Amino acid sequence: MKTLFRTLLGTAPIMLLLVLGSVMSARAQNAKLQLDQLDALANRASNTVDVKLDEHLMQTTLKWLGKDHDDAELRDLLKSVKGIYVKSFSFDKENEYSPVEVESVTSQLRSSGWNKIVGITSKKEGENVDVYLMQLGDQISGLAILCVNPKELTVVNIVGPIDLEKLSQLEGSFGVPDLDLVKPKTKKDNDK
Amino acid sequence: MRTKLTLIALLLTLSCALPFSARANRDGFSDVVKAIEQFYHVKHQSIPFLARTGMKAMRTAAKIKGGEWKRLAEAGSVRVVFFEDQSFDSHGQIASFKASVQRTLGADWSALVQTLSPKDEQQTHIFIREVGQKFNVLVVEIERRDATVVQATVKPEVLAELLKDPGEMGKSLTDEATTADP
Repeated sequence: MKTLFRTLLGTAPIMLLLVLGSVMSARAQNAKLQLDQLDALANRASNTVDVKLDEHLMQTTLKWLGKDHDDAELRDLLKSVKGIYVKSFSFDKENEYSPVEVESVTSQLRSSGWNKIVGITSKKEGENVDVYLMQLGDQISGLAILCVNPKELTVVNIVGPIDLEKLSQLEGSFGVPDLDLVKPKTKKDNDK
Repeated sequence: MRTKLTLIALLLTLSCALPFSARANRDGFSDVVKAIEQFYHVKHQSIPFLARTGMKAMRTAAKIKGGEWKRLAEAGSVRVVFFEDQSFDSHGQIASFKASVQRTLGADWSALVQTLSPKDEQQTHIFIREVGQKFNVLVVEIERRDATVVQATVKPEVLAELLKDPGEMGKSLTDEATTADP
């Protein structure tokens, strides 16, 4: 009995690490938004773009990116990312989609773990862009960008840690649309 | 009685084995071509178009991105099917077609990019499948009167470059497989 107790005590840290690891992995998975319910909008939209880059595909191909500076930066930015998912719908007329469809996304972003970041805006005129982060301690475990306009609905969902400072590098690459995201200048930035 | 039992056992074994055999023989390329034919009530043209483009694909060197890549698809790996001068009208159900393509391909293939413009009946669907150290890329391009289905095997380094601009990927691969030699 004593030996069994000692063995159990010895393996406890490993078990704890395993449990923590699975919890962290589950949290990272939670950062993936359910967006398939938006697919029916494709019948009404004038243009639809649907991009799905899962972790396996990203990590398998990232190491093969070129050796120039831009590729190295992209590789560094995406090294821990577990997926990039984009759904974008453009419409000819205003209000071709209902608030229910937007709510199906925002309700997920209101759930625990997600926080809306104030301050990140789009330079594009008329763009109404909200950025949400899911954090695990100090680390970002997911990001969502929601662009809701009368003639457009775009959702970008990045699963896994991502450097917010370098987020703009991703615009126009890997299916992430160009949203002209800008962070407000801090006092420190202005002093430079 | 024993013969009957043996026969029943044989039938049971066959009934179990057949679906597996059918699954093993599943070919995304042909399945998608069939799905297009069924949804749009069109027929693909394979000869002489296939012979022409197939030969071309084997010997051509891609000039995409100013000749940066020597070759996009692995030699001999390109399969092409054309649908020419037929009506591709989704009758407002373009989203259903998108879903049916995904269902047809099953879990082996991952949808990478799908772009739809119902007003112009334009669609591009790009699917990826891992095959050993390489990848199969399946591109379905549909317009109002024409459609093309291309499947090519690419190296991971080529896929990595293509992934940087997934929207252009379909065009690059289709151009390589279908542009006539000068």
